[in-house]
Amino acid sequence: MRRGGLPAFLLVAPLLALLVLSFALPVGRMLWTAVADRELADALPDTAAALRAWDGDGLPPDAAFAHLARELGAALEERRIGLVAQRLNFEEPGLRALLLRTARAAERLRDDPRGGLVALDARWGEPATWRLLKGAAGPLTALYLLRAVDLRLTPAGIVDAPAEEAIFRTLFLRTLWIAALVTLICIVLAYPVAATLAALPERLAGYGLLLVLVPFWTSVLVRTTAWFVLLQREGPLNAAAVALGLIEHPLQMIGTRFAVILAMVHVLLPFAILPAYAVMRRLDPALPKAAASLGAGPLARFLRVHLPLSFPGVAAGGAMVFLLAVGFYITPALVGGPRDQMVASFIAFFISQTPNWGMAAALSVLLLAMTGAVTLLVRAVLPGFARRA
Amino acid sequence: MTGRVLVGGAAALVLLFLVSPMLAILPLSFSDSEILRLPPEGWSLRWYERLFTSDRWLLAARNSVVVAVATTLLGTVLGTLAALGLHFGRIPGRGAILALLAMPVVTPSVVTAAALFLAYSPLGLTGTMAGLVLGHTIISVPFVVLAVLASLRGFDATLLRAAASLGATPAQAFRRVVLPLIAPGVAAGAVFAFATSFDEFILTLFLAGPGQFTLPRQIYAAVRDVWDPTICAAAVVLFLASMLLLLASEAARRRGGGLG
Amino acid sequence: MTRWIAALAALLFAAAPAAARDLTVVAGGGALQDHMRRVLFEPFARASGAPVLDQSYDYNIGPIRAMVQARNVTWDVVLVEAPDLRQGCDDGIFERIDWSVVPRDRFLPGGTTECGAGAIGWGVAVFYDERRNPQGPANFAEFWDVQRFPGRRALRMGARMTLEIALLSDGVAQADVYRVLGTAEGQRRAFARLDALRPHLMFWRGGQQPFDWVGSGEVAYAVGFVGRAANAIRGGQPLALRWDTLLYAYDYWAVVRGSPNRDAAMRLIAHLTAEEPLRELTRVWPINPVTAAVARDPAIRAANPLMMTNFTDRGLQISTEFWLDNGTDLEQRFTAWLNR
Repeated sequence: MRRGGLPAFLLVAPLLALLVLSFALPVGRMLWTAVADRELADALPDTAAALRAWDGDGLPPDAAFAHLARELGAALEERRIGLVAQRLNFEEPGLRALLLRTARAAERLRDDPRGGLVALDARWGEPATWRLLKGAAGPLTALYLLRAVDLRLTPAGIVDAPAEEAIFRTLFLRTLWIAALVTLICIVLAYPVAATLAALPERLAGYGLLLVLVPFWTSVLVRTTAWFVLLQREGPLNAAAVALGLIEHPLQMIGTRFAVILAMVHVLLPFAILPAYAVMRRLDPALPKAAASLGAGPLARFLRVHLPLSFPGVAAGGAMVFLLAVGFYITPALVGGPRDQMVASFIAFFISQTPNWGMAAALSVLLLAMTGAVTLLVRAVLPGFARRA
Repeated sequence: MTGRVLVGGAAALVLLFLVSPMLAILPLSFSDSEILRLPPEGWSLRWYERLFTSDRWLLAARNSVVVAVATTLLGTVLGTLAALGLHFGRIPGRGAILALLAMPVVTPSVVTAAALFLAYSPLGLTGTMAGLVLGHTIISVPFVVLAVLASLRGFDATLLRAAASLGATPAQAFRRVVLPLIAPGVAAGAVFAFATSFDEFILTLFLAGPGQFTLPRQIYAAVRDVWDPTICAAAVVLFLASMLLLLASEAARRRGGGLG
Repeated sequence: MTRWIAALAALLFAAAPAAARDLTVVAGGGALQDHMRRVLFEPFARASGAPVLDQSYDYNIGPIRAMVQARNVTWDVVLVEAPDLRQGCDDGIFERIDWSVVPRDRFLPGGTTECGAGAIGWGVAVFYDERRNPQGPANFAEFWDVQRFPGRRALRMGARMTLEIALLSDGVAQADVYRVLGTAEGQRRAFARLDALRPHLMFWRGGQQPFDWVGSGEVAYAVGFVGRAANAIRGGQPLALRWDTLLYAYDYWAVVRGSPNRDAAMRLIAHLTAEEPLRELTRVWPINPVTAAVARDPAIRAANPLMMTNFTDRGLQISTEFWLDNGTDLEQRFTAWLNR
């Protein structure tokens, strides 16, 4: 007895509204923030319009100079100048000081804007400066996305960022590498656990599963904090190792890649075990027996019966581990060193430390693209995964 | 045979690895000194005392509970209604709605957190309980929907027809046929929503101001900013709460709820 | 049931402010704020007849931006760090200080900006354990000299302050540091200097870390916050603090734009920076006041030998302007350098 369309839709509508308002729209807005370029157009609208109308060759017409001088002065007076100063300074350090100095001199520039500006600072006579401003006139920009992969846009085209400033490619590669390593270790460790539990009678398996579910239900932060405490230089692990004579001096473990991998494996292992267990539980025990009766040894049974049949479950778990690992923030932040930070911590950095929402959004876009690509890849390689997820 | 023993042995080691950190934190939280040594040199309850008397930690505990309860209420109501509508109704784009529902779960939390922060900032919702609850709800509600849908799976519509033929109004049929059936699913979803909110960290990191710090957020501040051994006690408290929720979830599952 | 929901809603929206709001001052918390409350805020409340509430925050001005944008300002006076103050002033999230209420001439040089009145100073300098290392580096050139002074060093993680220190160690005069650091050649020079010391360097993020490391012997010589060093020395720790290596800056009192209590806020700032209340505060807590009469008072200087403002004439004032202009770029370079 299916109800009609409208009452049923009314039941779904509140949740739908929440999803749209509190998820879809914010995420959409963030995608937009990665490419939007509004600071200059907002603070200096006439200048922006003049720049957009200009073709970009040589220096812009006098009107642009006049608008710039006037609007900069007004922006400083009304204290709206911070955002455009920051935006331009991000693209080229030193522009903030230039804008502020020009804004303070606005009064004097009224009679002869063009001459006055160039006299105030030689940069106002350089085409490169004006081209940069034109590029920032909006409405869209590739600045943040390019920066996020260590590229720069120059008049000569798109070039690599100088080596002293290139951090993001390393960052993404490092994130992928850590995630891949953690996934591999989790799969290898999950296999024996899932296989053993699947072979146990239901009740015993339940107890064993509890040992997996307990960390699964414990907050990631709590588990990471536990490792933070355990791995301290004066912590229990070091003390035990010294007492047992394994090492002479306490090891520095916090702030190392080892700690990050260890803690991440610990946190993500249940995500690998549970799907693998679910699949292995459903395996027909008759199949390996049949293989044995046909003369297959234990290794052959494992490789040619068990492994192929349990693979979808293991792979599903592995894919989930990878997707979670790629977006990890807490664990590298708490137990890792400066060389272990992953993409997520830079997103957090650009949101809270230096408000540069364009960069935060650009990095988020790339992270989303990465996870999306991995999901599609897994879906294509494992037809069964789509059903399971 | 040796293969079996080896695999079993490996499994045991891994399981030990899984539970040992929390097992180690437990005695540390009762340690007398600030030095983290096992076994502890002396035993005392001072960290728990600090946890339950310090303004900051009490506020964090209060906030954790308030936000989790609000999230559970909001998420359970919205999620259950939506699940009922999705199951019983003929809604076009059902697949799209379910896909949208899954998005907060598959999106990396830091991206969701950043997006919500950017969207809520100009609205003045950052640094408020309301904004925090909204954020927590959005990542919890998919589980409620899934749990209730699961409990409705294989629901025999003839039961409703039978009730109608016996003279029951639709409301009565709902109350006495559907409601008992979905109750375990709703319970399981509610428990999962509560647990998700209670343990939630990264959304809270971005959206909460000092007045809305939850226990996980406060633990992070105590680790990162001003080292405070009270974190061991706080971690144990959170851990015990998770265990209670796990047991509650298992109980719901036995009754026919659960997430499959 | 309905009562329960109503109570929950009340709890949830407890963040919503009351219509007529009390004057609220926000600072960095801790023991200092407890003393400020007793010695500064409460006397003002008593004298003005209106309550003064105080809260603490973590020097993240994100919430301030949000409340100004949302036009729902719940903080009036805030203790702000120099770069945030400058940026915030340009962005219009702080009011211009009313200099007719707060006398501008009472402050040390560099102690006021358009939107800020100098509150307290802070700084970093080289320190080490005197017992373990009776002879320690007296300046940054010696800090770099691992032959004469072997052992690990600790610097703050980040470009700010670290790059200036690198140039100072290479013989650049204090007056020239920011000019040189503003050039490509100067920046290369600074990073090359850091490369030279890198095998012996550890970087700290939390203010307590260098003190833990020096205390445990993990690090021989470190650059750390002088306030903490002074507290440790007063607490009996045998630390040597090298004032010649001081880099310092001021934190300022600012008024949030759109505050409904703007006039009272200005009067509060006048009180917070007045001579008598600050004198009283230095008696109970070793602060570094920016009010000249207090900072230069010989009696107070004698009573507080470790007061930073005794030594600012030797030190380098960290340039807010420079870091606002070049901060993003240089911090990214620093991260790249760290990851090489």
